[in-house]
Amino acid sequence: MNLAGIKAHFSNWREWELNPIVVKELRQAVRSWAVTGMLLLFLTGLFIISLLFLIFQSFDVGPDMELGGEMFSWFTGILAVASVIFIPLYMGIRVAAERQENNPDLFYVSTLSPTRIILGKFLCGAYMALLFFSACMPFMAFSNILRGVDLPTIFYILFHLFLIVCAVNMIAIFLACIPASRPFKVFFTFCGFVASFWLVFPVIALSLQVLRAGVGTTMGSGNFWAETLTQIALGAAVTGLFYVMAVALVSPLSSNRALPVRIYISVIWLLTGLLCLGWVRKAGHAEIVYAWFIPMFILLLASLVVVISNSDVLSHRVRRAIPKSRLMQYPAFLFFNGAAGGLLWVGLMMAATFLAVDLLFPTIGNTSNTSLSLKALAAYAFDYALTGLFIHRTFFPHRPAKLTGLIAALVAAACCLMPSIVLFFLNELTWNSIEGLELGNAFNIYSMRDDSRIINHVYFSLGWFALMVLLNAPWFGRQVRNFVQPPAVTPPVIAYGPGNPTSPAGR
Amino acid sequence: MKVQVKNLRKVFGKTVAVDNISFSFDSGHVFGFVGPNGAGKTTTMRIISTIEEPTSGDVLLNGTSVCEEPELARRIVGYVPDTLPAHADMTVYEYLDFYGRAYGLRGKKRAQAVAAIEEFTNVGGIRDKHLKALSKGMKQRVTLGRALIYDPDVLVLDEPAAGLDPRARVELRELLTLLSERKKAILISSHILTELTEICNGVVIIERGKILETGTIDEVLKKSAPRRTVVVRLLPGSENQNPQLIRELLQTPFVENAREVVNEIQFELTGDDSAACDVLEKLIEKKFRIVEFRQTRANLEDIFMKVTKGGVQ
Repeated sequence: MNLAGIKAHFSNWREWELNPIVVKELRQAVRSWAVTGMLLLFLTGLFIISLLFLIFQSFDVGPDMELGGEMFSWFTGILAVASVIFIPLYMGIRVAAERQENNPDLFYVSTLSPTRIILGKFLCGAYMALLFFSACMPFMAFSNILRGVDLPTIFYILFHLFLIVCAVNMIAIFLACIPASRPFKVFFTFCGFVASFWLVFPVIALSLQVLRAGVGTTMGSGNFWAETLTQIALGAAVTGLFYVMAVALVSPLSSNRALPVRIYISVIWLLTGLLCLGWVRKAGHAEIVYAWFIPMFILLLASLVVVISNSDVLSHRVRRAIPKSRLMQYPAFLFFNGAAGGLLWVGLMMAATFLAVDLLFPTIGNTSNTSLSLKALAAYAFDYALTGLFIHRTFFPHRPAKLTGLIAALVAAACCLMPSIVLFFLNELTWNSIEGLELGNAFNIYSMRDDSRIINHVYFSLGWFALMVLLNAPWFGRQVRNFVQPPAVTPPVIAYGPGNPTSPAGR
Repeated sequence: MKVQVKNLRKVFGKTVAVDNISFSFDSGHVFGFVGPNGAGKTTTMRIISTIEEPTSGDVLLNGTSVCEEPELARRIVGYVPDTLPAHADMTVYEYLDFYGRAYGLRGKKRAQAVAAIEEFTNVGGIRDKHLKALSKGMKQRVTLGRALIYDPDVLVLDEPAAGLDPRARVELRELLTLLSERKKAILISSHILTELTEICNGVVIIERGKILETGTIDEVLKKSAPRRTVVVRLLPGSENQNPQLIRELLQTPFVENAREVVNEIQFELTGDDSAACDVLEKLIEKKFRIVEFRQTRANLEDIFMKVTKGGVQ
């Protein structure tokens, strides 16, 4: 939107309307027996807890100065169960039902953009969370009156819980958007349910810890706000990541789905890196860098599996968007759809991650076994990915590109299992076999007894990597050469139809 | 508005659902899409409506490709699937209102559009009913209303008459006639071929993903059944003249296979209307007391049975 567009948008503020998805979802939610039932159950739980606390308190002679705090911890637990488990489950199931191709009502026939659809679903989840939080508010206020918990602590805990609910809600929507068959969707739902169930306990434990410590006294310090802002930033980064991925999943296949995701990951890589650097400087502990290094490493490994499963063929729509300038084509190649550009992007990001750690934190980057083992692991990941790519493009070129990720996973599994299978047939397989050197097996890096041999894994994986780069070079070259704008063509005139002499009927 | 289906091909695993088909139709045309079950009709319609992506080929809606610009294409095409609305927990009004919002209609414009659609599809009386409480015919109307809410230029209707009672079918036919008068380009699939003959200008007959016949209804009928059957009935009481009439007919040019069928004489005419006139003139000259002389041409159903083999894939 240009400046005039933004101006017009704000000058027409009277015509602003809620996202249609939010309106629809909320209309449906208020009618849903699941939502109303859960809300009633939630209120009943809060009411019974309050009543029980008051009844037991009535038997004590002296006043309990912690009563409010104890009640609040129970309320927080019930609120966490209701909002962290129920709301994402409800939203996830609804999105999954609408995502089915035999139900073309929403995702396929309306002109709502994918961003608006996902944003609408997310906002609906957030509004529902607010509904549950609001319903809980009188009980929370009551606990504050009873003493044992201060208002800043209540708001601090509720705010963080709300952030967690939003992030989990977005993850549930993302999982629901994955184009999978019904059994897989049921499996995802089950996994999501179990994961959110296990998330609730640390959330409650953390809340209790904050409750006991109280935040009222620390609010004046700069550290408190720095920590809080960092937590908000990380929560927003995670939510945003799953948001862009969900949008990419529901975008048309012909669109440039990779672009926003790769840009987003690159941006959060940089921003969270700077944030981490700030904390390292502030705290004076270089090990804090692992809080950025390890999650980014995992994120890039996951990206690697996705990018090799990208198609080689760019749609006309994407090709039309390729910049004409040769200079601009290089960054476009990295960020646009396509396995080759994606591989290069992950490679550069991974290299930049290791380089940043090695240069800025030499004590960690160059000497620690953690860094070395991660380098070997990264090299193995690329080996498996490039081998999978080579096998797919050479032996199954007509099969869908999304099989490449599966082939790479099979290659990895074969490499990890092969040494044990060979040892089994040689009758030398023991429980300690895995502690010896097994080149090609990425898991062996962490199971070896002698850490000094990690360097062997590094050399082996780099050799394999070089071989695979050579084997995939012709394919990569073709991808680079094909990354150009399509030739301008005039749309052909089709002559078939009623009354037309060249119709197939007349042939 | 011109809808051009270009060399469309869709493969599901080893099954070729749509095999390189091409046809086109324009605004104001109602184009019938006919074929046995599993012929590839729904797949083609889903591709036109941007729900499926073709394996190869394309569909252009006035030059807008459904593969390259599905978002733009969705503004042009309204799709009425053979499945009914999935949002069972919404009222008719809420359903139409949601799609009005989804297509960017705001405030009064949206209210007017919803009211107009309710009136056009005659669902105003049930606007506060839940979708799950509606009959199949009513749901079908609501789905049609949903597709029309943003006034698309192209309508794709997949089996809209399936399961409707005779009254609802007549009403649907009237709605479609009205829509074609409003210059919509309509593609409709149906197994009720007699109805298609009445409302369609053109037809595509498809089987096993391949087009067997396409063209205007007249073209297809002419091409597939070039011979017309003529029925002649003599005045009651003059039936004894029938053998003589048959003999006379067999000596007449353009007449073949004359026979008596339940007191009527039927013969096949290989000539055009002028030949029919000549035959009638000759029979009158010969003093046959004719009370009925009518031509019957094979209908779409006959042609469908003739050109298709009922093969599924």
